[in-house]
Amino acid sequence: MTRIPRPTAEEMIRKTFARFTDDEIIPKAREMDEAGKFPRWMFEKIAKTGAYAMRYPRKIGGAGGNTTQFCIMVEELARGSMSVAAFTAMQCLMGTNFLYQYGTKDHHERLLKPALRGEKVASFALTEADAATDLGGAKTMAVRDGDHWLINGSKTWITNAPVADFFTVLCQTDKTQGLKGLNFFLIERETPGLYVSKKFEKLGTRATEIAELAFSDVRIPLENRLGQDGQGVGNLMRILAVIRTMTAALSIGLARAAFECSKRYSLERTQFKKRIGSFQLIQQKIANMATEIWGANLMTYKAAEMIDRGERALKEASMAKYFASETACRASDEATRIYGAYSYSMEYDVQRFYRDCRFLLFGGGTSEILQTIISREEGVY
Amino acid sequence: MKLVVLIKQIPNTSNVRIDPKTGNLVREGVTSIMNPEDRHALEAALSIKDHFNAVVDVISMGPPQAIEVICEGLAMGADKGILLTDRAFAGADTWATSTALGNAIRKNGPFDLILAGRQAIDGDTAQIGPQIAEFLGIPQITCVSALELSDGKVVANRIIENGCERIETPLPALVTCLASLNEPRYPTVGRILDSVLESTPIEIWNAADIGVKAQEVGLAGSLTQVLKTFTPKGGRETQYLEGTPSDIASGIVQFFVDRQVRLGE
Repeated sequence: MTRIPRPTAEEMIRKTFARFTDDEIIPKAREMDEAGKFPRWMFEKIAKTGAYAMRYPRKIGGAGGNTTQFCIMVEELARGSMSVAAFTAMQCLMGTNFLYQYGTKDHHERLLKPALRGEKVASFALTEADAATDLGGAKTMAVRDGDHWLINGSKTWITNAPVADFFTVLCQTDKTQGLKGLNFFLIERETPGLYVSKKFEKLGTRATEIAELAFSDVRIPLENRLGQDGQGVGNLMRILAVIRTMTAALSIGLARAAFECSKRYSLERTQFKKRIGSFQLIQQKIANMATEIWGANLMTYKAAEMIDRGERALKEASMAKYFASETACRASDEATRIYGAYSYSMEYDVQRFYRDCRFLLFGGGTSEILQTIISREEGVY
Repeated sequence: MKLVVLIKQIPNTSNVRIDPKTGNLVREGVTSIMNPEDRHALEAALSIKDHFNAVVDVISMGPPQAIEVICEGLAMGADKGILLTDRAFAGADTWATSTALGNAIRKNGPFDLILAGRQAIDGDTAQIGPQIAEFLGIPQITCVSALELSDGKVVANRIIENGCERIETPLPALVTCLASLNEPRYPTVGRILDSVLESTPIEIWNAADIGVKAQEVGLAGSLTQVLKTFTPKGGRETQYLEGTPSDIASGIVQFFVDRQVRLGE
């Protein structure tokens, strides 16, 4: 029989999620943003594509995909709505990763598998009022009390908190150990003593709900510590390159959206009886946006490729995230300049890109800390 | 139960451009997609599979790259794909295409129902489904907006110009589907990853494999020959008629008379 090469999985995933974004997300993106609520209907629609299961092996209900494919998917989603891409990324990666790696069989059956099917919402709680970039400053304590852990403290800026069914929470078990005393714990929403604040009013990604968590004598079983004692930060470091590369992919998606709008408007809008795209200063903006997006693309997918080959990619992922998120911010800024006063109107999407891009500067490490890390990786510190 | 779905890869014609010199579609930079109504036909078959013990085969005729839509069909949930590809199939009109597809369906073995989109958005002929039904000597229901299977028969709502017909016919039969029939599912990530593996069954057949001679298919087997394709010259002219209503009415009638437009008996 004649053999014909098949398309690659990456091509198929890009095409599928590009169509999903064009047909399902973009027509609803403004409505979701204006509603400012977690769009559970969209969460469920995405679940039907098997997206949340992408990174996990077949044996636990996953699809067996890799980091490159995951990044392609979230990039396409982010082109339509950063909010949708953000809660998808949370469900696929941070919210479920530690449960998969270190959860018990019971955790997998009751929580992980339903989460991969989109029947439960996952969340990840790292940040505290005084512990963000400086994780060692975490004050939320987990104290062993017989055959339970007793959790007290609070977390802030927790994506999906108002709607999540379970949380992976970073807690300190031994203050004297600093970073080595940090561990991850699984806390289910219905656990007595867990309180979720009202959602934050925020500038962008308005369809992703974010809130604070408070723990007051929250009692959880011993097996809810996810990972070996003292391995919390080490285990986090193991997926940090994936988190940063994924955030870079989100950035490319948003930058592309701003770029496509800018191109279209440059060819439509006339001033002085000419399309504004015929003016060299507009062309310069278009050229710079295109060039930076191309650069961000090469860096991001090179880092993803390294991760898929099992290589250490912390420096490359940090560079990709730093460059891509700054690219998204510059592209959104330039888009507002090309649109002029219309970018100031809530009727045009560029204002949403301009608000949403700020989200990319914090998640996965600020540009400032990433520059510190890159310099350190280069031996200058 | 065996279901066969006909799918076609077409250029995404939402932003179509025609080369003014050659009259051909400019394919550069144009992505290929599965014909939209074929996606609804496949969804109908997969819905039947969800409820009955059915096997769904997707068949397409096209150049080698049409394997993409076969993979997409598998990623949506089909069990097997068949791609008819051969230089001998090139340039086929609907007659030659139906001949090739009809022979392929015969070779693939017994079936209960064939589903196809009403028409492909590149050619817009709506002839392939009906011609295949005639070729195979089975009943057909075209332009279907609702579909039920029971006791060896299919009952369908068929949309016509001024309403809807409800038609019942015994299986095996062929139906052509409208977009209003259902909302197609998206391929799932897991099935996408499977569809590109060599272990997922896709059969590649040429003219010899389906037992047809080169002169029966493709351009040689076509009953119609395209002499020329061209883009009609654009530019509309607006003529304003002024005066009394009577003057304007007379002007309109004269306009038709001058252009020898018959106004009815």
